[in-house]
This record gives sequence, C-alpha cells and structure tokens, in this order.
Amino acid sequence: MHKIYSIIFTIILISSQFNSIAQQEKVWFSGLARSYFVRDANSFENDSTSAKNSSLGYNLIDLNTHINPLKDIEIFAQLRISNEFGSFFGTGTDIVVRQLTAKGVLAKKIKFSIGDLFLKQNKFTLNNNNEELPFFNSGFSSTYRDIIHYENFYLDNRWRLQGLQTNFSYEFDRFIETIEFDFFITRPRGSSSIGNGVTQSDMLLAGGTMKSKIFKNLTFESNYINLFEVTSTGNTGISVRNPVLQGGLTYQNETSNAILKHNIQSGFSKRSWLQFDSLVTNQSIGMFSELSTSYFKIDSSFSFSLGGRYVDPNFRSSGSQTRRIDMREDNNNSIYPNYSNEQISRPITAFDIVTDATIYNQDLSPTLMNFNPMYSNSLPYGAATPNRVGVFTNLDFQTENKFLKLNFNSSYLQEVIGQGSYELRNFLFIYGKSNFNLHEVLNLKKKLIFSLSFINETTKRAGTESEKIDLSSKHLDFSSDIEMLKNIFLQLGLKQVNSSGNEFLTDRIEYGEILTFNKLFFNQKDNLYSIGLKYKFRPKVYMNLQYNWWGTNFNDVNISDFKYQRLLFIFSVKL
Amino acid sequence: MKIRQHYILTIISIFLLFGCSKDEVEGPLINDIYGFFEITQPLTISNKNPDFSISEVVKFQCEFNKNVDWKISITGIVSGSNTIISGYSNSLDSNVNIWNGNTSQYPFFEQEYCAIELTFLNESDTLRDTIEIMGPQLYTDGFIVADFENGFPQDAFNKPQGGNVQATFVIADDMPLLGDYYFQMGGMINYDWALGKIEFKLDYSSNQISSTPDDFYLNLGILSDTVDLHTGQFVNVLISESDEPFDPDNNGVANIFDSNEEVYKLKLYIDWEGWKLISIRYSDFVATNSTAGVVFERNPNDIKGVRIACQACPSGGANPACPENLDRMVRTDLDHIIFTKNDALFEVITNINNDEWNKN
Repeated sequence: MHKIYSIIFTIILISSQFNSIAQQEKVWFSGLARSYFVRDANSFENDSTSAKNSSLGYNLIDLNTHINPLKDIEIFAQLRISNEFGSFFGTGTDIVVRQLTAKGVLAKKIKFSIGDLFLKQNKFTLNNNNEELPFFNSGFSSTYRDIIHYENFYLDNRWRLQGLQTNFSYEFDRFIETIEFDFFITRPRGSSSIGNGVTQSDMLLAGGTMKSKIFKNLTFESNYINLFEVTSTGNTGISVRNPVLQGGLTYQNETSNAILKHNIQSGFSKRSWLQFDSLVTNQSIGMFSELSTSYFKIDSSFSFSLGGRYVDPNFRSSGSQTRRIDMREDNNNSIYPNYSNEQISRPITAFDIVTDATIYNQDLSPTLMNFNPMYSNSLPYGAATPNRVGVFTNLDFQTENKFLKLNFNSSYLQEVIGQGSYELRNFLFIYGKSNFNLHEVLNLKKKLIFSLSFINETTKRAGTESEKIDLSSKHLDFSSDIEMLKNIFLQLGLKQVNSSGNEFLTDRIEYGEILTFNKLFFNQKDNLYSIGLKYKFRPKVYMNLQYNWWGTNFNDVNISDFKYQRLLFIFSVKL
Repeated sequence: MKIRQHYILTIISIFLLFGCSKDEVEGPLINDIYGFFEITQPLTISNKNPDFSISEVVKFQCEFNKNVDWKISITGIVSGSNTIISGYSNSLDSNVNIWNGNTSQYPFFEQEYCAIELTFLNESDTLRDTIEIMGPQLYTDGFIVADFENGFPQDAFNKPQGGNVQATFVIADDMPLLGDYYFQMGGMINYDWALGKIEFKLDYSSNQISSTPDDFYLNLGILSDTVDLHTGQFVNVLISESDEPFDPDNNGVANIFDSNEEVYKLKLYIDWEGWKLISIRYSDFVATNSTAGVVFERNPNDIKGVRIACQACPSGGANPACPENLDRMVRTDLDHIIFTKNDALFEVITNINNDEWNKN
C-alpha cells in the first residue's frame, strides 16, 4: 500500500512540475481519484449456501494528460492506475490507458478529433438514453450514479465511440445566415473470432449532421447515421445495414422575458441483413414524426412543453434504441448473482440498477435489447421506442428564492399496431419531482434539503381474458441532506418500486421478428433504505459513508424473497 | 400569433397523429398461445356411409375460437387400418379436409365401421364419431403400371439375374397387397449386387397429363422379409422418357434405360418387414446424366417405361461388403404400381438417399 501512495505522490509531484509548463500552454493535467469500499451482507434465512458477507474495494486514479504541442492541437490521454483491496503491488495493480484522443483545428476552420469520441445527434438517430430508474439527483443515490456514469462513459446522453470526427461551419450574408456540418466515422466493434472458426465482421458507424439557420427565427437540422458491418472482414456471410435519416425545422420566437419554440421533425429508417453480398433479408422500413411546442421563461422560473410523437412499429435505429441495461437473463449482477439454497439466478432489481456499474452496456446493438416492463414499459427504448403514438408534456417550475423546485412530466401513448392481439396497449406515464430547499425559507445558514419524487406508470390492454394487460408500477423516492456541522451532511434515503399486474414479454429471433410471447405476472416490491454521512471538501471532492438495507419481495410462494445490507465508503476527488 | 393560438395549433396537429393506428398484428396471436380453447361449432361429417369405390368422399367441418394443432384419426374397427388428417387452423374447412378412403399404412380399410377422433395439441377436448364404409377405396384412380391380377404384363420384361439360383421373380397369391396377386422379386446371390429387374413399357402421350412433375406420383407397395431381413437390400427405380423404341432389337432388353437416354432414377433402401405403402413425387427422381448431351425435360406425358431393379449388398467373394448377410434371402416383392396425378395414394416419402448410383 505504501508503494501505491508513493506512486500517487510521485504523479502529483510530476503534475506540479508540469503545471509550470502548463502555464506556457504546453501540458496540463486533470483527473479523478477514488477510494471505494463496500461490505455486503446476506440477511435472509433461506440461504445457507451463499457467503454471509463479503467485501471488496479499490483505489484508483485517472490521470488526464492534456498536451498542446501547438496552439490548435491537443493530445489527451487518460491513464488509470487501480489497485484492488487485498492484493499485492504488482499482482493486483492495473495500469491501463482508458482514453486517447487527438483534436485540433485545421487552417483555423475545420475542427477534427481522432480517437475516443463522445457522440450524440438527435434522439431518433444517435442518443444514449437514460437508464430506467431516474436517480433524481437525490443525495445517497447520486454517489452511485456518478460512478456508474463515469465508469461506463455516459456523458450527456452521448455514446463513447472510437474513430474520426470533423466539423466546420459557414456564415452567409444572404439567403441563409449560417450552415454547420459535422461528420464522423467510428468502429463500435472490431472483427473477432466467435469460436468454431467463425469470425464476426467489423461494425462501423458513420453519420453526419447539417444544421442551418435559414433566417433569424428558423433553423433546419438534418441527421444521418448508418450502422453497418463490413462483410469482407469476417466469414459469417451476413452483415447488418441500418441507415436512419432525420430532418426537422425549429421556429423560435423570443420576447423580452420568454422564448416560444416550435419543432417539427420526421425521419426514416431501414434495417436489413445482407447475405453473401447480394441477398437482402429481414428488411424492415419505418418512419417517425414528432411535433412539439415549448415555452421558457428566460429567468428559468417556468417552462412548459407539449408534443406529439408517432414512431412506426418497424422504425429501427441502433444509435438511439440501444439500451444502457440489457435485461437478458445472462446479464448477471456482480452482487450476490445467485441466491437461496437452490442458488437460483438473482434478477436485476432496483438496487442493482442504482448501484451496479457492471450490468451497464457500452456497445451499440442492431437489434432491440431486452427490458423489464416493471421498471420501464412505455418508453423502454427512449423517445425512439417503436410502435408508439401519443402525447407528452413537461413542466418545470421554481420559486424565485429557490425554495421549491418542481419538475413534472407525463405521456399518454398507444401502440400503433397490436402485439399478438388486435387490441392496442395504452401507456400512461406520470413523473413528478420536487426539491425543497428549506434553509432558504427558514433562513438557516446550514443547508436543509428534502426531495420527494414519484413515477406512476400504467399499461392497459383490453381484449379477451388471455390478451388483457393491466400493469401498474409505482416508484417512490425520498431523500434528505441535512447539514449537521459545516460541510457534514446527514443523508436519509428511501427508494421503493412496486409493481403489480401482468404483461407479456416478446421473444424475438436473431433478426428481430417476434417468435412468441412470454406471460409475466408481477406482484413485486423492491426496497432500498439508506442512511449516511457526507463530508464535502468541495462540491466535487467528498467523502461518503452509507449504510443500505435493500431487498425484494416477490409475494409468490414459489419465488424466494431476498434481503441484503451494505456498508459503503467512498472518497472521491475530481481534479 | 398569440401563445394560445400556437398551442391550439399544436394540439390539433397532435390529435391527427392518433389516426396513424393500423389494424395489424405483430407476432403470433396471444389468444392462440394462452387463450382458453373452445369448440364453437361441433364436428360435422358430410357422409357417414361413404362408398369409396365409386369415388365418394367424407368431408369434415368444425370451428374453434383459436388456431390450434388439430388431428383427425380414422381407424378401421375390423382392419385396424388408420389414417391421419392434421393441420393448424381455427377451423376444419370441409372444402379442404376431405377423406377419400385411403390410408397411410397397411392394411387397407375394408367394408367396415370406422372410429373418428378429433384431438387438439395441449387441449383435453376430444370429439368422437363413427362412419360405416360401404365400399372401400380401390386405388385405381390413376395410370396403373402393373397390378399383376392378370399375370405379368405381356409387353414387360422379367429378368432375374444369371446366377440368382434361388430367384423368385414370379406372380404369387399368398399375401397380396390389393386384389389376389402380387409379384415376388428376390432371391440370393452372395457375390454380386444385382439380383434381377423388371421393365415395363409405357406410353402416356395420348393422355394429355397436365400435372407437373411436382404433382405427379409413383405409388407402389413393397413387401420385405418377414423372417430374416437382409440388411443391405434396396431397389433402384428408373423412369425413362427416351424417344427410342422400347426393345428395337427384340432381344428382351429395354434400350430406353441406357446411359445415353433421358432417365430419372431413385434408390429405395428396403429395411422393413411386411408391406409398406410408398408414394414418390416424380420431381424427386434424379436425372442420371451419365452421358453428356442428354437433354432432361422432365414431363409426365413423355414417360416411356419404368424399371425396378432388385439389389443387395454382396456377402461373399474376395472382399465382401456385407459378410453378415451371407446366405440370406433378399425379398423386395411388389404390388399395385400406379402413377397418379395431383394426389398421392399413400404417404409421400422425402429425404431420399441417392448414393451409389453405379449399383444398378
């Protein structure tokens, strides 16, 4: 351990040396350091085979080196040094290059980036949708959220990809005001052997964005993306093609205190597999359209938006429909993946979604991934979820003294065509979040913050007894941050997900067509309670100690419930 | 435009989106997978006293509330013969589900009562009824090649192999398939493959057969060993469309099966005991193509002859292929060789093994 600290000390020393050079704009550093320790305990009786408790932890430092050899060029490298608790130096220490990027400006006109890119386009073409249970930014779960998002490179709904990106823009003095272009080509997956002498092909993702301000109030935007495999780089003889094209107009009307914005957009997708370079199979062609209107107060005290959306059942967009969590059975939790004396596989529950970074996905998928309707049923693939038509609203409000902050959004959606039935599913989604900064109204010097949030999602389908669906999921989240002493916060938290009713899960073949439906009954309750202390040195430098009680009741004599506890310690420094 | 007007316009546009729902279904119907099964219309049998000998048929009709795998089993009370009609649907259509009195396995139905049973996969419901066959199916609706009822056809060749000292190759009456007679084709040659062959002269050019090779069938019954099965026995069936004369030399050898003629061929391993009923789609026969330049234009109208050759894996000689069959008799007896158009008389065999063509 002493050696680890020696390395860290040396790096800091070197950093300080380079800081002097950094002043000459040559090299500068940033990064993150984290100490993480958890101890999990199994506290239910019907499991004498699993370990009663276990612990793990690590220290890591991500050192970001920014090198500016020229004014317009930057080389960025992120080097990770990590050491697991209980291991010896040399055997348990990993040193990996986590990110490498070179970026710059050509002829002061064309920007380029090579290496690790964080890409995002429109929510129908390329967008990394949020996970199913919102973290609500509540105190105790935001500690976990920071780790999950950081470890999986989730940055502002962007996908982390490796390749080349360039963008440039022009300004005009007549006809149109500006026009901007952005192009990229990346390789989400390299060719690799998948056994038995079979090599899967390279998968590439290419796309571009064109945005133009036609005149002061009107903007046109178009995005194109294509996920495809290069057949010649493998020997499977089959390769996917998934181009998506989107176009939209935004009209913006500004007054002295508010902005009114209208947006209309539409697009098409095609997904097919090419066999032996010529035979197109399993082709599906779909479209979407969306219309929305937003009203913002310029002082951010109020905003309201309203819209309608249609997404065709055959609309397929790998870049925007890939999920962060694949709820397939073999996506195992890292914490007690099996439980009970029968050692059955423990399903992904609310606690795993909130805390387990290893169940999250970083790879784009050309087919729809599995989801659990208990946690997300109306829009499991984000706004681009196929086979949906309906309306959505969003409302934000905050008082002038910031005592109260409210966010409310809802959607009412319907299927475009029935799945396994001529009857259509109807989805009602209501989300509410409130933050009470009581110290503002009580004139307290120390912070007193409460947050209460909920989600109510219902799915219904009429029809015969066998076709009927009635599923209700309720998600309640409460957290408080009470500043006991200066910068020391007492954190209390509660998260509950209740689901009852029935649904059908689709079982699809390799190329996406529905093979059959699996009937599911829910009467499940996930619980997570937390108490903790947090010391904030600075907003991004903190120490957090938590104790979590969590478990799931299935309310089914045939399925064992489970109950666990966890002690968590984190020391996080963001440089 | 005021803000309110903006929103009204948006709301109207959004409601237009709801008109986009389509009257389609994605995936299989859930009602078919999980729905409660119910028979909405009982089983109706169109003719409970059919006389199949005069081409009468029995039609079945029934309706259910969902698509299911259903099966009609018809069993002769006296003969024990059985035939199956099956499908996957939510009804039995009387225009489709028709029984003409045939069977998929020996023995044939007689003049007898038959038990009808309609069952459904994964459902406990069973519907039962009976019919009385007034006249059994004669299986004569087609082009008979040979039924051996009037002896061996006069213009056909019966050619046991030289050396087949125990050759049968005779008409017999002890266990016919249909009628009173059948043809015994077998014997024993330990050292060679060929035991003999029979060749029939045919000409359908005046029949104006409209069927394609996919809808044209060769049907026959083959009787194999009942005591000591020869494990390497088979028959080669050759159909010729040659324009050559059947036997131009009058030497008892049909030249139309020569390697430079348009001949289609198929090999049947005989590995059962008793009679087996076989139907073979003409399109499943393979062009022999042994000589370059032969034009293969398979057409049932052009059929000029059929050869059936009896063969068995040798059990003797210097390097016997099947020594375990030493001194075993080969038996590939035949009856009721008939071509039919559009419908096969018996169960159509597929996945035919076409290896070792040289053994003819």
